[in-house]
Amino acid sequence: MRGAQGRLSSSVSMMSLAARSGVFSPYMQATAFAVAGPLKPLVPGVVVKAEKFLMDPKKPFLCRETLSGQSPKTGPAVTVSINGCAGVRFAHTDIKVPDFSDYRRQEVLDPYKSSQESSESRRTFSYLFTGVTAVVGVYAAKTVVTQFVSSMSASADVLAMSKIEIKLGDIPEGKNMTFKWRGKPLFVRHRTEKEIEVEAAVNLSELRHPELDKDRVVKPKWVIVIGVCTHLGCVPISNAGEYGGYYCPCHGSHYDASGRIRKGPAPLNLEVPYYEFPDDDTVIVG
Amino acid sequence: MALAKTVYDLLFRRTSTFAVTIMVGAVLFERVFDQGGDVIFEQMNRGKLWKHIKHNYENKEE
Repeated sequence: MRGAQGRLSSSVSMMSLAARSGVFSPYMQATAFAVAGPLKPLVPGVVVKAEKFLMDPKKPFLCRETLSGQSPKTGPAVTVSINGCAGVRFAHTDIKVPDFSDYRRQEVLDPYKSSQESSESRRTFSYLFTGVTAVVGVYAAKTVVTQFVSSMSASADVLAMSKIEIKLGDIPEGKNMTFKWRGKPLFVRHRTEKEIEVEAAVNLSELRHPELDKDRVVKPKWVIVIGVCTHLGCVPISNAGEYGGYYCPCHGSHYDASGRIRKGPAPLNLEVPYYEFPDDDTVIVG
Repeated sequence: MALAKTVYDLLFRRTSTFAVTIMVGAVLFERVFDQGGDVIFEQMNRGKLWKHIKHNYENKEE
């Protein structure tokens, strides 16, 4: 019976339009014909009461909800008798209320039993379940994060290469030995008593990069510096230069027996790496 | 049941204690799970690991 209602509503609007549009009404009328649906009703529907439709044609049509109260919105309403309308609403009559018993707990299946008696055990179970899940989740998250972070740290072979162990007994007094450490030359110098005294007595005001000798060594006998000139990165020559320490042949920087810059273009003293003496005869650099 | 009620009242009732319970539980669970896994692994590989056969080689050197 949509056809009947459509015809009615369009004719109602048609009438108001026709009344207002005046000379255009013959043209406007072309829109008033309703197209019949493919289904034929058993008994032709009859529109009985026009005053049922409380249409307000002046109400602006803005959205679907604007039509509420103005248009039928509840499924098919069928008029079958000639005398009057007998609305048949299918909604909510043929829909089965779903049964959620399978998803409910045993204690609350019976609707006539108080749920308060079982509330304690139920909530304890819920919280316990949540807590155990959270514990496992925290553990899993911690493991994943730890693995990811530790994958970024240096591997064991890199760590093993980063240290060098030097036997100090092989270096005679007054001599300098060069080792390769992290791809750079490493100077280990066995100083004489005279050199130690001279370096300790140096006035800080004479130095371009003032550092005390005792701050640059752990044991005064052993000077351990990285053999890269701080000027442009050449490797200095040991036991050479005006101060008896190191001399850089590239641009003539003179370092003393503590590796401090004394003359020439280099701006800084030779770098002292971290090292320690596990015993009197060994040093571990790195 | 009394135990469950005590546990609920002490640990689960407040969000703060519940969170603390989860954190402490995670630490304990980590220890138990990791060490238990190691023990199971060593049980299944008994006699194959270095620490199981280490003494054989140490005796030879001495």
